[in-house]
Amino acid sequence: MATLNEQARQIAAYAQRKRLSRTTLARWQAWPGTDQAALLFLLQDLQCGENHLKDLLDWLEEIAARDEQTIADILERRELRRARATPGSRNDKLKAVKTVLRKIRYPRLTRLEENVRQAVKALDLGRAGQVSFPSDFEGDEVTVTLTARDVHALQDGLSQLQQRLDDGRFQRVFDALDEV
Amino acid sequence: MYQPTEILIERGEEEAPVVQRALARLPELPVHIVEKDWEQRKARPAGNDPFGAGKRRLFFTRQRAGFLEHCPAGTPGLVCCNYLVVSLISNCPMDCSYCFLQEYLANNPTLKVFTNSDDLLDEVAQVVDRQPWRPFRIGTGELSDSLALDALLGFSADLVPFFAARKNVLLELKTKSDCIDNLLRLESHGRVVVSWSLTPPAIADTEEHGTAPFANRLRAARRVQQAGYKTGFHFDPLIEYPGWETDYQQALEQVFATVDPRGVAWVSFGSLRLTPPLRKAIRQRFPQTRLLSGEQVLCDDGKWRTFQALRVTMYRALITQLNRLAPTVPVYMCMETAPVWRKVFGRAPGCDKDVARSLTAPNL
Repeated sequence: MATLNEQARQIAAYAQRKRLSRTTLARWQAWPGTDQAALLFLLQDLQCGENHLKDLLDWLEEIAARDEQTIADILERRELRRARATPGSRNDKLKAVKTVLRKIRYPRLTRLEENVRQAVKALDLGRAGQVSFPSDFEGDEVTVTLTARDVHALQDGLSQLQQRLDDGRFQRVFDALDEV
Repeated sequence: MYQPTEILIERGEEEAPVVQRALARLPELPVHIVEKDWEQRKARPAGNDPFGAGKRRLFFTRQRAGFLEHCPAGTPGLVCCNYLVVSLISNCPMDCSYCFLQEYLANNPTLKVFTNSDDLLDEVAQVVDRQPWRPFRIGTGELSDSLALDALLGFSADLVPFFAARKNVLLELKTKSDCIDNLLRLESHGRVVVSWSLTPPAIADTEEHGTAPFANRLRAARRVQQAGYKTGFHFDPLIEYPGWETDYQQALEQVFATVDPRGVAWVSFGSLRLTPPLRKAIRQRFPQTRLLSGEQVLCDDGKWRTFQALRVTMYRALITQLNRLAPTVPVYMCMETAPVWRKVFGRAPGCDKDVARSLTAPNL
């Protein structure tokens, strides 16, 4: 385990290498020593720049306040350790860690996103049909796009949509938008 | 209790009635006479929290711009209730962790009190007396608590008789205080709504610094109602946290166990909304707050709110409860989109006037 001085030196070196802003560095340095060390350990794998690091700082501080846990304890959670061990590039690891951390930070929103994704997948519209939603599901309009090269394809697409309306699969999409 | 550290008076305003009232009540404080452009030249207070320090500098000055403004909630994309605001005070003696003034007045080094209340009344008279057929709702609680400083400044004695004498206007005094003693000596003729912003005690005790406790606010509401005032209640911001549903439902029950629903002019609900600079200010000034840990997303108007499905769930739960407790009380949502109105009420207002009419018609 690094001494406090050595840890401070490593954090300063990381900040310099990644050209972190003074504000971001100060925020990290304001954490208790064990939390600073836990993040440094994570960043040795992820090598985040300023923007990704700010997301991590926001989410970790907000989870810590909500769950009354230390940041070191949060970073020790099994699902996060598993994400850190994701094989592949640094970007793959970063993506996996951020996905898991976002899920911890926004449990109901990510569950809603997953339920909507499953409901859309169940429509099984193929490549001709697309369903899209307002950003972060703010709004009440769902856009359904049908692409056709000729009237027969358009007729097939419309029939498919009608069938999904009749069997309740479209209703399931709308319902999923309101379920928390 | 608000304790300023110094009094600043713009040269020429020393004899203004509000200045004389404050000087009589705060005889021990250092007083400085300053030039009218003092504020532009003066640096922000030093220290870790210049915004907090600025609240304790009481600055008496003239308002040189107009007083009457449209409420900023009338943002494109949001349903508006056609509310007008006037401010005799700019900045608030209270210090709620979620308060937008932390961003809006970030560079304001004082708590400013305007000495020319006569000009405000003239300006309001010019607008409302020329349109006697048109109902107005005007509030003073935009840039400060309406009543927290009333024992010191006594503005209610200027405002209440003026509005009580007009048939087409409702004045709303919005507060988190229990400073109502001056009101009890005035006659409102039913044209003054004293309204309280409420959060459950669990939030009020931890996030609303310098405010009256929840129970005191309700006791004050009952007293003003008994004195002939209408009352209003604003559950704004609605804050989502573990246990919110039980806490808010109990808060609503306590309200209607304390006041008579027939004397309640309106109840509003509004989700917690935070701009990115406000989030930053909160993080700096209240690092222990749990307000930022809700599941909030950045909306089209540039503000973070609890994500839509969750806030719709909150609105539905509380409005259902309200309808059970006080079915005839008008209810509205503040700074919400038409889609959210449709999901909560089954329809969105056709135009801004619809909401305004639903609030003024039963009360004027």
